[in-house]
Amino acid sequence: MNASPVALVTGATSGFGLETAELLSKNGYRVYASFRNPRKLAALRALSREQTVTLLFMDVNRPPTITQAIRRIVKKEGRLDVLVNNAGFVMAGFLEDLSDQEFRAQFETNLFGLLRVTREALPVMRRQRRGKIVNLGSVSGRVAFPGIGAYAASKFAVRSATEGLRQEVRPFGIEVCEIAPGSFATQVVASTRFGQKVKSPSSPYTPFTIQMEDRVRQEFAKGGAPSEVAGLILRALGDSPMKPVYLAGRDAKAMVFLKWLLPDAWFEALLKRAFPWSRSVRP
Amino acid sequence: MASHSVALITGCSSGIGREAALRLARRGTTVFATMRDLKKDGPLREAARGLPVQILALDLDQSASVRRAVAQVKAKAGRIDLLVNNAGYGAFGAFEDFTDAEILAQYQTNVFGLMRVTREVLPLMRAQRSGRILHIGSLAGRMTFAGIGLYCSSKYAVEALTEALRLETAPFGIQVAVVEPGSRNTSFKANRQKAGLFEKNQSAYQAVLQKILDFGNHQSARAPGAKAVVDAIEKAADAKVMKARYPVGLDAKLYPLIRWFLPDGFYDLLLRRLYARFQP
Repeated sequence: MNASPVALVTGATSGFGLETAELLSKNGYRVYASFRNPRKLAALRALSREQTVTLLFMDVNRPPTITQAIRRIVKKEGRLDVLVNNAGFVMAGFLEDLSDQEFRAQFETNLFGLLRVTREALPVMRRQRRGKIVNLGSVSGRVAFPGIGAYAASKFAVRSATEGLRQEVRPFGIEVCEIAPGSFATQVVASTRFGQKVKSPSSPYTPFTIQMEDRVRQEFAKGGAPSEVAGLILRALGDSPMKPVYLAGRDAKAMVFLKWLLPDAWFEALLKRAFPWSRSVRP
Repeated sequence: MASHSVALITGCSSGIGREAALRLARRGTTVFATMRDLKKDGPLREAARGLPVQILALDLDQSASVRRAVAQVKAKAGRIDLLVNNAGYGAFGAFEDFTDAEILAQYQTNVFGLMRVTREVLPLMRAQRSGRILHIGSLAGRMTFAGIGLYCSSKYAVEALTEALRLETAPFGIQVAVVEPGSRNTSFKANRQKAGLFEKNQSAYQAVLQKILDFGNHQSARAPGAKAVVDAIEKAADAKVMKARYPVGLDAKLYPLIRWFLPDGFYDLLLRRLYARFQP
């Protein structure tokens, strides 16, 4: 293999994706950065002028765009060494408030989209008998907070998919790991989508949702810089073998440690203290 | 749960759902037992003769069908005290093998369908200011095994939904929990859906998958049946305060403990060793 490995980073217009594309390109990777929304391209365009980053259109919910993007990489480079499955978003809202379509949309992008891109990349990697796949999970893949239950469910599923894929593809020389960040100052809050009924006067959950939203905003404002997560991804790619999971951020580590340490009921009692409205009120 | 209460149970044509419907009905609970295909109601109808069991059609994949079934229960009984989200099946195959349609089908039933029923039932329970929701999850929601990874991921999602729903609905007096059976000798094996590529013998993982499938069938053939799962459902329904999780069976209790105890790296090594045993 020659000096510069080829990497595909999905959802690279902002946040972890953008930072990862930049950091990998600065560290000798030939980076293909995929985007879905051409109106959000300013930062990525600027990056592609300075670094060897190639922009690719890809909508993880439209399979032909994935096939085309990967075909283009393989045609040009002859291989694909690294896939960073970063594309994702948060569908916020208490579970009863989310419609069937809204709930499904969360899985379409965060899980099914990830599996679609992976499915297209794996044959290339199996042929090479090498490759590394980094899935962006979350602390929400380990602890399900109220108000973002759909997101948590999709990230729990990503954690499981990473564990499963890791076993299945290892005999082909392919490694898979999960990067699980806590709160970081990314666009994730700005790009959060809310279900139509969420925060509406007709929802019985509206007061709780508003309290949760404030809480989440505060946490994310306090969060670390997304470059920290990009740094961790670079480090993971350098590890041989890659560890199964890399937790990013002190809040993620503390939360996961507490959940590991405490019995279910105690951990839940802690959460109920943090969200006082969630205590049971009987008539 | 008081004996004269009302329960709605999905997936009652066989296995855990059917046994749970009969057990609850025998203690006087009015049971609405649903199934997708009413042509499969024979065994339940036969066993439920003289018991307060009403069989309803409910296709989890169809919002309209879910709405209709819950409305029927509401009209007939006026309340729902216990919802058992039992319907589900296991997809089999390597992640790379599944088509979009196969992935969607697994989630339509195990996750989206579960939420459809829950979403319809919650307003009623909120109005009652009481109610219990039991998801039938799995040991597969705590650990992921190669070859059934897609199924496991759907059950991980159910774990998350349980955790979130517990906190979200507690202010309304509603309790939520997940029952986690390990390997069981139920209709699970017969209802398994294999990935098309594996069925056509075209999977890049063919040999190892075949060994995993044989192993799984061997395991479940020796495993206990639905009884202990129904015991757990009854226990949760009667508990003053429901715990979050009810693992059922030695494997479902022991394996997560091993995982809890082992550092990530050792656990990973253990999985690698296990998987190596299935290599042709």
